[in-house]
Formats: sequence, C-alpha cells, structure tokens
Amino acid sequence: MTTDTLSLTFSALADPTRRQILARLAQGELSVTQLAKPFKMTMPAVSKHLKVLERAGLIVRGREAQWRPAKLQAAPLREAADWVEQYRQHWEENFDRLDAYLKTMQEDEKESAG
Amino acid sequence: MNQPEIGQIAVSRTFDAPLELLWKAWTEPEHFMKWYGPQGFTAPTCEIDLRVGGRHLWSMASPDGRQMYFTGSYKEVVPMERLVFTDSMSDADGNAMGMGEGMPKFMDVTVTFEHVDGKTTVTVSHMGSEQAGMGWEQAFDKLAAVLANA
Repeated sequence: MTTDTLSLTFSALADPTRRQILARLAQGELSVTQLAKPFKMTMPAVSKHLKVLERAGLIVRGREAQWRPAKLQAAPLREAADWVEQYRQHWEENFDRLDAYLKTMQEDEKESAG
Repeated sequence: MNQPEIGQIAVSRTFDAPLELLWKAWTEPEHFMKWYGPQGFTAPTCEIDLRVGGRHLWSMASPDGRQMYFTGSYKEVVPMERLVFTDSMSDADGNAMGMGEGMPKFMDVTVTFEHVDGKTTVTVSHMGSEQAGMGWEQAFDKLAAVLANA
C-alpha cells in the first residue's frame, strides 16, 4: 500500500460525519437518501462525503443511476490498522534497544561512582 | 496500561531503571543516539534543544548507510514527567517535509514517565497535531469500532 492511499484513508476518517456514514454502512448498503436522513444534511452534502470515501476506496457505489447504493469496503481500514501496528512495532524495537542501553548506563554510573 | 486494542496508538514499556535515567536517555543527545531507531540502525545526528519552542533534529541511518532525518520542536517539557514534541521527516538541514500528502505535516508525540515500584513506565503516543483538525487517536478509536462491525 502506498503512503498516498494511506493518507487518503486517514484524511477520509478524520471527519466525524464520514465515520458515522461508515459505521452505518457497516450494517449494510444504503442509498444517499437513506444516509442523509439521520444527519439533517442535504443530499449534495452527503454525496460530497461519499465522494471522499469512494476516492479513499472505503466504499463502492452501485451503478444504478437513481439508487446507487453505497457499500463499505473493509480492506483499506484493515491496511490503516496494519499501519498502526507497524508504528507500534517501531516503538517496541526502540524500547528493546533502550532497555539494553539502560543497563550500560547503569553500569557506567556505578563505575564512575565507585 | 490495558492491552492495546486494534487502532490504538499508545505504546508503553516498564523499564527496570530509575526514572532519572529514562529522562536522561530521552533528553540528552549522547544517550538518545545510542538507542533511537530499529535494531542495526544508528543515529548519526542528534540535536536536542530542550526547552519549549526548542528544536530537535535527529537522524536514523540504516545498515546500508541511508539516512532519514526527523525534526520538530518541543511543546511541553516537564522534567521527569512529560515531553511533548512535534515530529516530521526533514532534510539534513532540518527543513520539515511532512509525513506524506494528506497527513498533518507534523505529528504530536507525547512521552510520559511514571515511577512504578522502583521501575519506570514510559508511554509514547502519536497523533496528528492541530493541523489535522483532530487527534488521530480519535480516528483510530472509531476505526477500531468500524472494523469490529465490518
């Protein structure tokens, strides 16, 4: 996965309305009209959010002109979670080295004290 | 600290060493450069201007000699308790280049230090700074919820 795809995923997820849209789509396909209802938003506003989500690959839209149901795509979300896992891994590795180095520091301090 | 959930981006470790030593290891270049970076990497550059608004510039060099630089500035310096700094990839002169398109230019890194029965727990958490409009942590929480439902 390229950084750009990941950036798109994260910037798409940075908006609370879009996260709510995703959470609703996790239950099943919905049309723009159905999605717009609980948000007190205009349909064009919802469509705009859907475009961002679609560009990030987080949803796919149906082809039917009127209905065009939106459907959640889980893969980019999993990749984003993997990225978080890599970050965690990075710090675990740093901590391993820090742990070893602290022992050296402690020995050095003992020596200079003794 | 609880077992981290998917998407949670705080990492903790309890070290069998006094807090003063951990603080030194994080704030003094001669020590920091000895452990920062993955196994087999070195940290050839390490400048730390430890005061609010002060800059850091450090690098990691891979075993084949490629260097990556990171820079940012300290937002909070509370001795023996807490460090908050921004972090971004940069060039060798410390000109920030950001973490990639669409991401906040700087990340906020928060490091906390705690005494626990003669040991020291260090927690590092990472999130987008104000430019992102919100912390990433929130996004990750939501992400975990969405994943659980998908």
